[in-house]
Amino acid sequence: MKRDQKLFLIKFFAALIVMYLIVAWNPVNDHVIVPATKGIAVAAGTILKAIGQDVTVSGTTIGSSRFAVNINNGCNGIEAMLILLAAIGSFPATWRARLIGLAIGAVIVQFINEIRIVSLYLIGAYKPSLFQVFHTAVWQVVVILAAIIFFLQWSARVAPNRLANGS
Amino acid sequence: MPRIDWRTALKGLAAFIVAVAIWAGVSPLYDRAVAAGAEVLMRTFERPAVTTLIATGSDVKVDRSDFDPRSPRPGLPVIDLTFNWVLLAALFAINPRPFSDRNIFRFLLASLLLYITHIAALATEVMSIYVLRLGPWSRVHYGELARNFWGTLNHSYRFVLMFAIVFGLWWALRPSDLPSPRARGEGGAKRRVRGRSSRKA
Repeated sequence: MKRDQKLFLIKFFAALIVMYLIVAWNPVNDHVIVPATKGIAVAAGTILKAIGQDVTVSGTTIGSSRFAVNINNGCNGIEAMLILLAAIGSFPATWRARLIGLAIGAVIVQFINEIRIVSLYLIGAYKPSLFQVFHTAVWQVVVILAAIIFFLQWSARVAPNRLANGS
Repeated sequence: MPRIDWRTALKGLAAFIVAVAIWAGVSPLYDRAVAAGAEVLMRTFERPAVTTLIATGSDVKVDRSDFDPRSPRPGLPVIDLTFNWVLLAALFAINPRPFSDRNIFRFLLASLLLYITHIAALATEVMSIYVLRLGPWSRVHYGELARNFWGTLNHSYRFVLMFAIVFGLWWALRPSDLPSPRARGEGGAKRRVRGRSSRKA
């Protein structure tokens, strides 16, 4: 492994650990993560209502007489956003490119995450035997994989620009 | 906005579907291997060595020879700790020439290293059960520092580390003909064009 690749990995893990500790800190969790998760639940509830599901949203829980899902850490896309943030922040690029990458990446991650929540509710309501495998293996991996593929696309695009700009 | 390479995404998707099927089929057997490794790891460090981990097919039962024989044994699903292998398979599939000997060898090496992290993750999960979830027994045997340490380690693994480890393994072991951060910058088309034009000038 080349020196710059090692340096990237060291920065990536250091950034990830620091960000994890910040996010896991109770005041941040209570005042940032939980309200954001409630917003994600409201958005998913709105989509489910739009496609004819009789659901109610209470805090981070989306429920009906058929099924209920409670959105916790690990299902709110924050984990994918942390990995994306650590990767983009550790990669040599301009701050402008990083901010643009983070903004677009966050939108993509949360868009896919909304699909995950909506589909998990529908699977739980109509095909509960598949819920566990989709909840554990399928959707978590899809969301992280989307974040990593986005990072690879972003890094392939910004690196030549970085050199061209002389930064 | 970065251009989405659909061929790369489709390769990853195909590998992801195949990997989910393999992982679901092999999990009961794999759980036994992880449980056996974690039991050895725990017994190496605990005095006296009392922990026994029994894979039952769907989960792993945690037993200790000093537990009251009448009390129920805690169980935990190991698949929650091991499904990141699916992500590893998908990432190696998006490498150029995914079926080359070198890529397959490095994928197998990464899988072996991931197995070691699964053993450590299961041992950490068992420790978090010991320190946090066994009521008065936990409070008598472990202090605040141990509760925070094992609880945080277990939560961080489940929340982000299990994915970050896979990304790190893939990043470190992907064949070196893939562009690195510097190589991407220094070997890009723009540099070659600029270099030629400067020589002409």
